[in-house]
Amino acid sequence: MTAKKKAAAKKASTKKASAKKAAAPAKVVRAADGSYPETRILSANFGVKDSWTLPVAKKNGAYKSLEKAIKTMTPAEVIDEVKTSRVRGRGGAGFPTGVKWGFVPTDTDKAKYLVLNADESEPGTFKDRFLMELDPHLVLEGCLLCAYATGLDVIYIYVRGEYPLSIARLEGAIEEAREAGLLGKDILGKKGFNVEAHVHPGAGAYICGEETGMLESLEGKRGHPRIKPPFPAVEGAFGCPTVINNVETLAHVPSIIEHGGAWFGDLGIAPDPDNPRAMGSAGTKLMGLSGDIKTPGCWEFEFGITVRELIEQYGGGALDGRTIKAVIPGGLSMPVLTADELDVPMGFDALVKVGSGLGTATAIVMDDACDMVEACENIAHFFADESCGQCTPCREGCHWMEKIFTRIKAGDGTPADLDLLEHLFVNIEGRTICALADAAVWPLRSILRKFRHEFLAKMPGHADPHAADAKASDAAAPVGAK
Amino acid sequence: MADVKTVFINGVEYPFDAGQTVIQVAHENGLDVPHYCYHPGLSIAGNCRICMVEVEGDAKPQVSCKLECAPPPWVSEPLRIQTESELAKSARAGTMEMLLVNHPLDCPICDQAGECHLQDYSYQLGQGQASSSTAKTKLPKNVAFGEKIVYDAERCIKCTLCVRFCEEVTETNELNLGGRGDEEIVIMSSKGEFETDYSMNIIDICPVGALTSRDFRFKSRLWFMDFADSVCTGCARGCNVITGGRNGSMMRMEPRHNADVNQWWMCDQGRLDYRYVNTPTRIATPRIKTADGVWAAATVDDAILAAAAALKAAGGNVLVDGGCTLEEMHLAQQLAAALGGKATYAAATGEADGFLRVAEQGANAAGAELLGLARATKAGAAAVLVVERDANVPQALRDGADAVVVFATDADHVPASAQVVFPFGSSAERDGLFVNTDGRVQVAQRNPGIGPDNLTPPYELLEEILGELDAGYDWHGRDGIVAAIQAQPAFAKISLPAAQATAEVGATS
Repeated sequence: MTAKKKAAAKKASTKKASAKKAAAPAKVVRAADGSYPETRILSANFGVKDSWTLPVAKKNGAYKSLEKAIKTMTPAEVIDEVKTSRVRGRGGAGFPTGVKWGFVPTDTDKAKYLVLNADESEPGTFKDRFLMELDPHLVLEGCLLCAYATGLDVIYIYVRGEYPLSIARLEGAIEEAREAGLLGKDILGKKGFNVEAHVHPGAGAYICGEETGMLESLEGKRGHPRIKPPFPAVEGAFGCPTVINNVETLAHVPSIIEHGGAWFGDLGIAPDPDNPRAMGSAGTKLMGLSGDIKTPGCWEFEFGITVRELIEQYGGGALDGRTIKAVIPGGLSMPVLTADELDVPMGFDALVKVGSGLGTATAIVMDDACDMVEACENIAHFFADESCGQCTPCREGCHWMEKIFTRIKAGDGTPADLDLLEHLFVNIEGRTICALADAAVWPLRSILRKFRHEFLAKMPGHADPHAADAKASDAAAPVGAK
Repeated sequence: MADVKTVFINGVEYPFDAGQTVIQVAHENGLDVPHYCYHPGLSIAGNCRICMVEVEGDAKPQVSCKLECAPPPWVSEPLRIQTESELAKSARAGTMEMLLVNHPLDCPICDQAGECHLQDYSYQLGQGQASSSTAKTKLPKNVAFGEKIVYDAERCIKCTLCVRFCEEVTETNELNLGGRGDEEIVIMSSKGEFETDYSMNIIDICPVGALTSRDFRFKSRLWFMDFADSVCTGCARGCNVITGGRNGSMMRMEPRHNADVNQWWMCDQGRLDYRYVNTPTRIATPRIKTADGVWAAATVDDAILAAAAALKAAGGNVLVDGGCTLEEMHLAQQLAAALGGKATYAAATGEADGFLRVAEQGANAAGAELLGLARATKAGAAAVLVVERDANVPQALRDGADAVVVFATDADHVPASAQVVFPFGSSAERDGLFVNTDGRVQVAQRNPGIGPDNLTPPYELLEEILGELDAGYDWHGRDGIVAAIQAQPAFAKISLPAAQATAEVGATS
């Protein structure tokens, strides 16, 4: 680490001292030189020749955990083990997976389904793709463990339609598994353990990554999210109890069963005993980087690496001659972090604490060449285009926001437009059936508040009516704050 | 789960039934919670977001159409709802603003103006100043949804009531949504025509002017029209309707909610059936045939005297339209008795459609049977003929009656034998009682905006004629007529509504 970097790190750590103190102590195993090593559990087979084929996967331990669960554990014990692991959903919301499985009714006559959310439509996100392309049997084993634990009958894998290789590899894996007796009737000789799996490609709508929009799409309908309750665990696909998990979430389950929930729970960031909402970030996580950095990519770490470490050590830092200006830590739908807010661990609770969120843990990096007004127009355009049109505030509001950003970019904006945007944020966020509207507001509002000067710079001749209280604006407001 | 059986709305405690949502309890108790996408007869979509209310203790407003009154299992206290708090009002105003940002605001030429929820809630919640200066999104206009309906995607607020109607009520699925975001529109199946004969109900349930009736488009501003509660006489179902008319013309007919008869709906055939009312050959005044066989307009009094004189000479039977009211049919019986004959009724038989429409076309055939009128199945002599509809009393019956006194709506329905003709109001123009196919007594009210001016109610004319026949008939008035019907043994178990109670809404002009 250069002296300059060290100084910056020191400065940042003093600045964030209060935040770090309150946060649960991160269990971080750094190398002697201070660098943060990869911990490859999910990605153990990435790079192995033909890793997606059953013989290679089996040689590397595939389906051992399924065999262990079927032969030595009851379904309830599997759920308990997942609960003990404290693994949280990797699709962005971070809901405890074991708890979700526990919601599935055990006393129902209806069929039960797993819908694996492999739509990966969040901009900047490309982690599940690696799992599906390089280790589809790990994904399938996770699905089968879920099937065993919750007693479900059919696995639907809803894959992003733009991922033809993922679709092909998953279909290949399903075919191989079926021939090997890992799918179908009496799986691995277990009487009555009957599960089928189907791949269902999406057709390119962002909203079909929203779990209930996905269910509608799966049922052959328009991808309009459903109003909850009923929750999918009770009434999901085709009106039946349905588990919906992210690809990466279920890919963790085989190792949890193999090594035990406690082992997994010891990895990463422990929960904060003083804050029941800070449930910790157990285990490892695929993290990705894209945008204005030298080496974009996807890596696996134990939770604890900071955003800055991820960018500096793995992303290769800013492009030559540029400086990093802002980072959206998890996909597009999270509030932005400024360059001096990057010494925060990539973790569920830590990022919420600084007013952002882990999301999909695939960060988008913007440097000083990025015009934040243009970035906002781009973001607003995405959400306006992808809004399903169901709820009034999102349908009308997202496009309205886009029009305002376009106006500001063209030099036709006034400071009143910034007030109007704040007014729209309030009337869009939290006023809709699903979270797409929230996802649109969060990055836009945080950029507007943290980079207000860039917006005002496009309004020459206009004084900022809020110049005095601009500093007091809650740059670090928690997610969801008005 | 805690046994919570009440909900507080604006501080007042209300009981609720299992499964009821906040908007249902609010509406039941007369509280006005705005709504677009909510309809009590359809599934809950929760998409328009105008019915948001505050749940005390919750920073996020909730849609009251979907919010169950029963609290979640971990809460043991009743929910406390505020419909008029700052949060609730600002949330609704925010939604209103969104709904108007791309709305064309073409109220001056919109048929819905005057009965538009968008106007109503805009008036309640809207702001005085537009907050958007950008161009509005352009969407398809003047799109034909079949032959009877016109769709305007710019006015549409995508509440999906029409889509859900075609999915859930008719199960014909002609409509769906297309496009995304603010370019979302309602689209029609490639057939381009509705399979269902109930399609026009989507015009009524459309809360805005997005779906308009080709029949009614641009015909009249609503505030110049008269409305009256009535029943459709297109078949014996007796769907409850609201008639709308202006300057003597009937403009439209829309269903009125009756949970036991037609719910919220009516068939297109019945709805469009009203057009016979506006025939150019309407009879507006009484007429008497002079000695040289030429028709001359007459005063009501002269016509009554002439009719009585003609009947004294002729005597005989009375044949009435199966769409006559109970009162008219009862007096037809009295008249027939005075003339030494029998009263019969005529009605067509059509086809039932399995939903609302029944085969029996005589709107009051059940009433006629209760009164003891026989059904006329073939032509037969009748001195008095009452024709409202050609369908019920076809030409063969009319000509075969050889009637001297005729009550008719349309001059074309008057047979050559007639000596005296009285204008007979259409079903929208006469007060009276109907018994529908299920034996339910229903009230039709006269719409003062429809039909010729100064139309004398037929029951009055019939009573006057009876009085002139020297048969000892005492003038009863409508209350007396209803009382006389009520006194008959066949009506012992049926409670007829008092005539006075039925006349209130009629006088809207």
